[in-house]
Amino acid sequence: MRWGMVINLKKCTRCHACIAACRIEHFLPMGMNWPRLIAWETDVPGEELTTIPVRCNQCKDAPCVEVCPAEATKKREDGIVYVDNDICVGCRYCIIACPYQNRTFLSRDKDPGYFPGYERTRFEKAGRKIYPHVVGTTEKCDFCMERIDAGLAKGLVPGKDREATPACVNTCQSRALTFGDLDDPESEVSKLIKEQNAFQLHPEYGTDPAVYYIDGKIGNAPSNIAPREEQTASHIQHLSTMEERAKQIFGKK
Amino acid sequence: MSQMATRQWMTTHEWMVKPMHQREWIERRGIMIWIAETFTSLGAGLYLVSLFINSWWGLLVGWLIIMFLKLPLHIAYFGKPLRFYRTLPPFSNAWKTSWFARGILFSVFFGTFGFVQLVFGQPDLANLIGNSIANPIYYTFGVLAGISAVGVGIYGGFIMNYVKGIPFWNQGLLPVVFILAGVADGFGLAMAVGLAGGDASVSWAETGSSYLLIINVLLIIVYLISARYTSEVAKISVKELLTGPSAFMFWGGLVTLGMVVPAAISVVSLFSGEIPTVLLIIAIVAHTLGAFALKYCLLKEGIYRPLLPRVAAY
Repeated sequence: MRWGMVINLKKCTRCHACIAACRIEHFLPMGMNWPRLIAWETDVPGEELTTIPVRCNQCKDAPCVEVCPAEATKKREDGIVYVDNDICVGCRYCIIACPYQNRTFLSRDKDPGYFPGYERTRFEKAGRKIYPHVVGTTEKCDFCMERIDAGLAKGLVPGKDREATPACVNTCQSRALTFGDLDDPESEVSKLIKEQNAFQLHPEYGTDPAVYYIDGKIGNAPSNIAPREEQTASHIQHLSTMEERAKQIFGKK
Repeated sequence: MSQMATRQWMTTHEWMVKPMHQREWIERRGIMIWIAETFTSLGAGLYLVSLFINSWWGLLVGWLIIMFLKLPLHIAYFGKPLRFYRTLPPFSNAWKTSWFARGILFSVFFGTFGFVQLVFGQPDLANLIGNSIANPIYYTFGVLAGISAVGVGIYGGFIMNYVKGIPFWNQGLLPVVFILAGVADGFGLAMAVGLAGGDASVSWAETGSSYLLIINVLLIIVYLISARYTSEVAKISVKELLTGPSAFMFWGGLVTLGMVVPAAISVVSLFSGEIPTVLLIIAIVAHTLGAFALKYCLLKEGIYRPLLPRVAAY
């Protein structure tokens, strides 16, 4: 059994709901990102950007596992790579070694609380009991392994039953994210990979990522690009919170 | 809306879309890694050179640099410094796969073997217990400490060389650059030990330094040429090094201070026979600053290949 994900870029509407769902699910600190949506400028006038969801690829031959001097980064039998924050020494070699840059070091300034200068809210405090988010250690996406484990214990099937499926997959309104067992040829992910020629990021590194992408045109003319005006309101709203300049641009509109 | 405005608007989202510098090991607290790596080079190099020229004071200074400058800086950089013991057996067996863990082990071995060698090499103690007892221990632990010092001097190169996402580092020559630069730095510091009244031969160290300087110049040229043809991103690293934001460190620090000044002083010594102490001190300081510049350039120009494939693939 090896858990994997297929991201269909043709279906992604760039709503950022997966980012929000992960943040809520794991009570992520303010400056921490597990999954990301990265924007890619195209050369086509009028079609300025496309957005690609990225997260830890849960590589089969994960460089982060090999380089960790404290064996804090571990790989489970089901292929999920996770960080044991009680062991991590915070040397950041895993961050350097990850060719996909999908790890983040939780420094003190990345964890100011959601209301900096004020005491943590009850919600934040409750979250810290479930996910301690140890400052001085490294974090990354773990495919919501707690949900998977709890779901499997109840006899549920990750990828099919919501309770056993990663939060980002559950929340994706356009069903761009599909989760399942890569080793099962009958699983939806295996079929998608086979039928739609899904590809991995930088396969030449030999890491064999468990996250696949569907978009026959990527690298040339991505199929999910759209003029900025056609982007969803939530996307615009999210971006507008990211940078002062964006506020100015959208403020004028 | 202008293209310019679009660019500014997208800045926060251009992460890993274009070639991106590594920051963890050079910016903010990462400066500690830069300084620690330079001390690694200086300390291990001096120890190896001192073994070669049989200078007890050189061994002592090299050992002190590793144990009291390099290691504390490395540990202080950790997000959880008090957990550093977790990188060592029996808490971790990561040395089987991780050069970082191997490096820490080399440092521990070096500290232990070097300490024993220094104790039994100390002239007063050797006289007290007798040379017939002290010498075999001194030389046996000298060999062990020497092997460990090579490990300490070279592991940083393997750590960086392992990173597949940074083509500028992912070069087979990098560990060789690390160890030879370290030995060259060691010769520089051995001169300082000799000048300070230690038992190192200044003229010997000066000659060794000159030879290593020539080898290192050639090695760095080969390294840059080889990196330039490795990939488009490594080419960007080389370009930034030669003409970009790091050019000041490269030309001013590495080339001028680390190479031209010591070389010029060596040429003076070739013709005049003897070098004034002031010039020697300038050569030592310039050489040491050059060592800092080399590590800065290597760490600063670690650029990742973008995450997404493009038509003009990086």
